[in-house]
Amino acid sequence: MKLHLLPTVALLSVILLGAMFMYVVEDIPAFGDSNSPPNKYIELPISIDADGLAGSLDAGVVPAELKTKIEEIGYTKENNFPALEEGKYEIESNDEEGGWDVLILKEEKYYPGPEKWYFIKEDLGGKLKVYRYSIPVRWQEKTEEETGLPNMVTSGLADYRGYDTMYEETVIFTAAISVIMLLRRREKL
Amino acid sequence: MSTGKRIQERDVVIQTIAKLMIPFIQLYGLYVMVGTEGAGGGFQGGTVLAASFILLVVAFGVDKGRMKMPEGWNAVFKSLGLYLYAGVGGLLCIIFSLGKAEYLNYSAIPLAKIIGGPATRGFWVGNVVEVGIGVTVMAAFVSIFYDLVRKEESVKEGGAEE
Repeated sequence: MKLHLLPTVALLSVILLGAMFMYVVEDIPAFGDSNSPPNKYIELPISIDADGLAGSLDAGVVPAELKTKIEEIGYTKENNFPALEEGKYEIESNDEEGGWDVLILKEEKYYPGPEKWYFIKEDLGGKLKVYRYSIPVRWQEKTEEETGLPNMVTSGLADYRGYDTMYEETVIFTAAISVIMLLRRREKL
Repeated sequence: MSTGKRIQERDVVIQTIAKLMIPFIQLYGLYVMVGTEGAGGGFQGGTVLAASFILLVVAFGVDKGRMKMPEGWNAVFKSLGLYLYAGVGGLLCIIFSLGKAEYLNYSAIPLAKIIGGPATRGFWVGNVVEVGIGVTVMAAFVSIFYDLVRKEESVKEGGAEE
């Protein structure tokens, strides 16, 4: 009996790949949320009178009025944003830009620890303005620490967006297979 | 008929220059593909490697090209690249995370206990994932190019017979 090695290997590969992709579909995280952090703007529409609140911020406590204002915009735990709970955040004074950084402790498996989330600044009119750190800034600052890659583009391509790149490669593979099936009229693969 | 014969005669200048250039093009493709400190990545490096094989076919003809880069190996490379990404990395992470479904999360590989999680991710992404992408892209482009060349040749033969 002649052993058809290549067709057998190809069939096994296709079956394994199909099983792999079914597994991935079960595992893939949810996406498409318009309220997700990357789609939010950077400056938040908050302005409160600053008198008295600066001392509270220096002492490391977010004032209750500011907290309610932030929660009114929709930055709550129900919307998948980290909440400003007592003891779960730290405040550092940012001398370079003249304001305060609010760091919130993340509960993640591999990268637990405080992460910069809000930036509070007192403007010339004596009002407190609240900014949220945008994703590109976070990406630049944390990419080497989290992925061990000095190249921001590579870490974005193959680590943060690993699913995306994997299916791009699948598209190229499928294109090559389609061309073979359309143009190669032969008995051998 | 005469035009077909003129195409068959190869130019010595083109062949010599191609012989000189192909190793350097492939070295450059590998430099772009492997490692993370320079520019580029898997897609670009794979395209440069495919360009070297296309230059080989242009200079020496499709038969010599098929001898150097057989189509069976092409099919193997195409699947192997995708497996390096989706199969090996994913299976390793599934196995070593003990069923907790850490697909594509390279910190779950046991190497992380020795050199640390981020360093493992960097090593895996830079040396395995990018090489997988590059191998798939190279094999896919070369395979598409071979198929188009054969189509043209068969059309030419059919025209000559008529």
